[in-house]
Amino acid sequence: MSPAAKTLVARLGVLSLGLVIWFWPVPEGLTTPAWHLFAIFAATIASVIAGAFPILTASLLGIAVAVLSGVLAPAQAYAGFANATILLIVVAFLLARAVVTCGLGQRLGYVVVSLFGRSTLGLGYSIFFLDAVIAPAFPSNTARGGVLYPIAFSLAQGGGSKPDETTRKRMGAYLMFCGMASLAVSSALWLTAMAANPLGAEIARSHNLNIDFGSWLVASSVPTLLGIFLLPLVLYKVFPPEVTATPEAPAEARKALRAMGPLSATEKIVGATFLAMVVAWALAGTLKLDTTAVAFAGLGVLLATESLTMKDIAAEGDVLATFLWFAILFSLSQELNRLGFMGYLGQRLAGALGGIPWLGAFVLLLVAYVLLHYLFVSQTAHLLALFGVFLDVGLKLGVPAAPLAFGLFFATNFFSVLTPQGSSANLLFVGSGYLTQGELYKLGTITTVFLFVLYLVVGTPWVLFVAR
Amino acid sequence: MRPAPPLGAALLVVALAAPLLSARAEPPNDEGWRPFKATWTLSGTRQLLPTEGPRPAAIVHLQGPLVVTGGEGLGRGFLGEAFIFDDGGSLVVGRAVLTDGKGDRIYSSMKAEPVGTGRKATATITGGTGRYAGLEGTFTFSWQYVVDAEPGEIGGRVADIEGRTRRAPPGGAGVPR
Repeated sequence: MSPAAKTLVARLGVLSLGLVIWFWPVPEGLTTPAWHLFAIFAATIASVIAGAFPILTASLLGIAVAVLSGVLAPAQAYAGFANATILLIVVAFLLARAVVTCGLGQRLGYVVVSLFGRSTLGLGYSIFFLDAVIAPAFPSNTARGGVLYPIAFSLAQGGGSKPDETTRKRMGAYLMFCGMASLAVSSALWLTAMAANPLGAEIARSHNLNIDFGSWLVASSVPTLLGIFLLPLVLYKVFPPEVTATPEAPAEARKALRAMGPLSATEKIVGATFLAMVVAWALAGTLKLDTTAVAFAGLGVLLATESLTMKDIAAEGDVLATFLWFAILFSLSQELNRLGFMGYLGQRLAGALGGIPWLGAFVLLLVAYVLLHYLFVSQTAHLLALFGVFLDVGLKLGVPAAPLAFGLFFATNFFSVLTPQGSSANLLFVGSGYLTQGELYKLGTITTVFLFVLYLVVGTPWVLFVAR
Repeated sequence: MRPAPPLGAALLVVALAAPLLSARAEPPNDEGWRPFKATWTLSGTRQLLPTEGPRPAAIVHLQGPLVVTGGEGLGRGFLGEAFIFDDGGSLVVGRAVLTDGKGDRIYSSMKAEPVGTGRKATATITGGTGRYAGLEGTFTFSWQYVVDAEPGEIGGRVADIEGRTRRAPPGGAGVPR
């Protein structure tokens, strides 16, 4: 079958799927708007997975159908465009551009390569380690992505890997997915490394499970550190970069650093601004600062000092596409959740597990919890809709509280990579141009399965041990 | 490789087709009352207004799935939406509307404690539409948890809704309060 014929078949299949769901009798307990929106959302996501349409096209068609059919009011459908986290992603893209164009990114890249650059695998590890170290100070994993992305991007560019078909796989594609995967595990390591973690701890408290910074770290340490140790290697095996060994790179990087000379004035401005932003992001919770406003301030300073120009911004055309498709999927998912679809589905799924021994129920609850993330584009929204339900049902089925709660906590973090839209933290790496949609779904599935097994097999006994 | 999620599709079918295992049909008593139990997971907004007292006034708008886990006489689930007004003093009242898959509604009014973990509420069913026309009854619940997600946004869950309903007798015996 020719590619054009395959695409046509995929499009017809997706259209049929949407129509079948739309006209299927509304299951009892759900409302008609919720069911119709599910039909639109399912067809939108399926069309990306099946390769019927690129994600932007699918999203635009999805939201158009949702509004024109009257399922969503325009104000509901476009709410994602005013979401603070999504705006943060857009600004972070532009800030990353400033770091790269002024040469600071290249300099940072050389520093990292001089330390870890004997192999692409070493560079992958450097991303994971850096992320794990800075994570406890960043409750916003999206903001943390804003720190990692320019470094990963500069490392890729420094290695001669650009977001084009000929060189993207040299090392850029691998490093970009390392950035995404790293955020998924580093967020699980610390209570304060992801906004939803403290909310989950608060919900767990209503079930007499008191989790603080220390007890979280103890419970997460063994499985998560093992994940940080193994995941770069797993990705290296399943998605090998074309350039693997670069034994001469550290020496060359040191030589290049010397050749670059001292920091230029623009590098100093960008560096100081970026550093100030990192500090502000880290203290955002304490000082009650809005992370997006911090990013806007940084962008404003860079434009005012002409460290970033309108020409640079115009060159970031992909940002608009990323903003559009993510804001649309965000709105569709949020409305689907608001209409009670996910909560109802989760409650029904969890409720269907009665009579199963606790271990089986535990595994099935975790599987269901993770798979339901196909419907979400926000980890926090997922946790708020389903964590309490699954915890409640699991406890009633006899699953021990600590492994159940932590199993759900860990899943809330690692399922971010299940789909490209699974977390706003993915967006910078997804929008880098180094990874195709197919690769993102494939690697997302592999990483999710790997971490699921790791946390189940290593994490569960460990949590049972430390919670004695 | 593209990840077709067949397991996800299977789970979806199971969830939507399988009966709630914990739901048990209970016959009506002599006066026609039918008890029911349910859970309610909600999210929404809370707007605060300062008062002269220690507690601000609040308008809470919540929405989420209400799943019937036991009893008879109601559907298996609803989309529940509630407005709650807290004057910052002693008055906390609200209205809740439950809508089923056919668009039929159950209306209720609430008297409650301020929205928060462990706080209680009592609702009186004041009528309905479609299959719930002429319905009367009451239900009570307490918040298992309420968390502040983002500034102004809250999420919560009620796991212990217990109540009873009946078709209002001709002439109207009045709604129990």
